[in-house]
This record gives sequence, C-alpha cells and structure tokens, in this order.
Amino acid sequence: MPLLKTPAITLKSRKWGEADRIVTFYTLRFGKLRGVARGARRIKSRFGSALEPFVQCDLNLFEKPNDTLHRVSQADIKETFPALREDLALMAGAARMANLVTAITPDADPAPKIFDTLVQGFRSLNEGHEPALTTLLFQIKLLGLTGFRPQTDHCAACGKDTQTLGAGSTGRFSALAGGLVCDPCVHRRSDRYLFLSPGSLAFLQQALRMTPEVLNRLKASGQVRSELELAIEAYVTCVAGKRLPPVDFLASC
Amino acid sequence: MAMDQQGLLARLIRELVRLPGIGQKTAQRLAFHILKTEQEEALRLADAIHAVKDGLTFCRQCRNIAEGDLCEFCLDPKRDSTKILVVEEPSTLYAIERSGGFRGLYHVLLGTLSPLDGVGPSDIRAQELADRLKAGGVQEVILATNPTIEGEATAIYLTRLIKPFGVKVSRIAYGIPVGMDIEYADEVTLIKSLEGRRDL
Repeated sequence: MPLLKTPAITLKSRKWGEADRIVTFYTLRFGKLRGVARGARRIKSRFGSALEPFVQCDLNLFEKPNDTLHRVSQADIKETFPALREDLALMAGAARMANLVTAITPDADPAPKIFDTLVQGFRSLNEGHEPALTTLLFQIKLLGLTGFRPQTDHCAACGKDTQTLGAGSTGRFSALAGGLVCDPCVHRRSDRYLFLSPGSLAFLQQALRMTPEVLNRLKASGQVRSELELAIEAYVTCVAGKRLPPVDFLASC
Repeated sequence: MAMDQQGLLARLIRELVRLPGIGQKTAQRLAFHILKTEQEEALRLADAIHAVKDGLTFCRQCRNIAEGDLCEFCLDPKRDSTKILVVEEPSTLYAIERSGGFRGLYHVLLGTLSPLDGVGPSDIRAQELADRLKAGGVQEVILATNPTIEGEATAIYLTRLIKPFGVKVSRIAYGIPVGMDIEYADEVTLIKSLEGRRDL
C-alpha cells in the first residue's frame, strides 16, 4: 500500500458513513484522485478544514490496490482562499471551476498546468477580480489545456482554414462541433449555432494564448461578454456531457 | 456465497443495501441476524418502521419531525418564541437540545444551499422561515448551519433574506473545540477563533 505525497486542491467533499468524507482532489503529481477521510466530520478530526472544497493542502494518501478510492492519511493546509467562503458570487465561481475540472479531467492523469491554472483561478477570485469574468476566462483556459480547445482558426467540422473562407464565415460557433464552422458546413449540419462577433472571437483567441498568471488582465463587457458566456456555457455542456450547476445558482432558482 | 437473487432473503438484503452506510456485506450480516432472531423481535422492527412512516410528519411551523401538526418544541408554551435557531437537519436540532443551552424555537431547513451541486433556495425551507418572520414577534435568528462551504453559503443567503425584516441575525461561534490543544488546530479554525474572540 504505497504512500502518495502531493500538493492538492479539494474539488468536492461529500458525507460518507457516520463521520467520514469522500473527497475529490486535483493533485499536482497524480491528477484527479478520490479518497476517503475517516472521521473527517468529527469535531476533533485531525483533518480540520484541510479537506473543505477550494482549500490547497499538502496531502498524504495511501493507495489501495485495485481500488480508485484512496485512504487520506494526512492533509496540511497550504492556502485557504478565505474570501471564497464569505461571498456567494465568489463561491459560485469557484464551484464552477471545481465542477468543470471534476467533469472533464480523467482520473489519475497528472497535468501540472491544470493544477496551476486552478490555483491561479481560485487566487484571482480570492483577490477580488470580477467572479463571472474570472470564471469565464478560467473555463476557456481549462478547455484549451484539456484538449477541448474551441476551434477558432479552422472549421471545427471540416478542418478548412477559416481565414480563407471570407467575411461573414467566421462567426458561427457550434458547441457540438467544438468551435467555428464554415458556411458549407453550416448548411450541411443541423447544429444550433451561436454568433460570435469579431470582438468576441479576438477575445477568445487572446484568452487561449495567455498564461493563467496574466489571464485576469483581459477585460470584457457588453456584447463580447454575453456572446462568449453563451458559447462557452453551451460548449462546456457538450464537453462535460451534462449541464453543470449554473454559475449564478441563486438566480436560477 | 452466491445467493439466489429472486429469493426472500435476497429481497431483504437488497432493501437493506439501500440504507445509508450499509454495504453488501453489512446488509447480508443484518439479514442473517434478522433471520435468526425471534419472530416477535423481527416484527417489532418492521412495526417500528411502519409506525414512523405512518405517524411522523414535519412540523407545520418549524419543519422539525412531529407526531402531529406541530412538533414538541413549537407546542411548548415555556419556550422563548422571540428567538429562532436555524439548523440544517433535525439531527442537529436534537444535538443542540441535548446540550440544554437553548430555550427558544427552531427552524429546520431540511437541506443546505450548494453551489457545487446547484442546490438553490427553493430546495430548502428558507421561504417558510421568511413567512415566520413576516408574522412578527421574532427578535433574533441564530444561524447554526455547519461551518462547511454549504453551511456558509446558506448562512450568507439567510442573512440577506432576514435583514430586511429588521430582526437581529447572529451566527454560532467558530473556534477551538473544548478539550482540544490549540497547537493542533488548523489555520482556518485558528483565524476564525481569533476573529470571534470575546471580551472577558
């Protein structure tokens, strides 16, 4: 039963049994893992708040043979992002980040860039950057890092270079195809298309290029913001295979 | 042991496995225990389950478990009706009641908000709390939701909901459990306990 040691971020934590928790982590060295933390809900638990969602900790786990559920043996807090526990909009933004990582990353497939992007996303929210925009930028970045980069320079259906197709051909985004779709493909396919203006397209391409550390320098409002929010929400639903809990979970009720 | 999936015993095991915290092995052990016990004892268990489902409901006022229209606390005239303590589940209510530290009324939400699971205000008994405040007579609402992400989200939302009624809203204290060494407390608990310190 080997011991795994790694920095980790808690994505989800749910009650299990009498006083235990099953926790989903995104770890730096081993990717997404699940572990059971015995006695984590007891008042004098050694884990304290280290296993709460959105907390970064140094984690020790015992790997169980032939079982994807590990045993959490120790968790020491590294970074807590306290603002995420005190504001509903920040909490909802962090929840969407955690839900997207949970939904689209495979188990036990380490990707340090995803870990760093998640830490940076929580840090941006904690520092008071606008939650809806920060969450949107995180989603665009994560899609790029996980192999679901929205296709913006080629037709997502036939692969033709969109630059050669002329004006008016570059603005139809198909969530099902995974990006912009050229005119002939629009006529051929029965997808639902969302329109992306040149400004939205430039913003999307810029967001995909930038590193997580400087991502929050990008600003968007009005049309660009609403077009991209719709397009990314639709694409995320397709990629995740289900509708994720909404970012504005209070407004949706 | 291979077991006939259609048999009576297999049916009992299937039902027991549906209970929280009961796996296949435990369900089998329980089923064999029930099989070996006296008929009268086994039927007493079945009867108790039947009686709970038939005789218990949720209190019209506070949503605690009740045997009639109102629960034992809402019916008690000696309790302080100017204070309402809000809890997530009836089990928390009984834990607080066992402590003997609160003599007011309760409100049970029967859930919590959860941004991670998309559970919103319409999924918990928040509006019923607002209706009680609208009726008047309440001076303080004490929020005793768990200090988890879900509990915090619920407390923040309820504070927003309650404030317009002009009622005092308070949150139970965070901090070091009694009998624990401070050196073993985690950072979040320590910060919260320092923020929530009180004058002596």
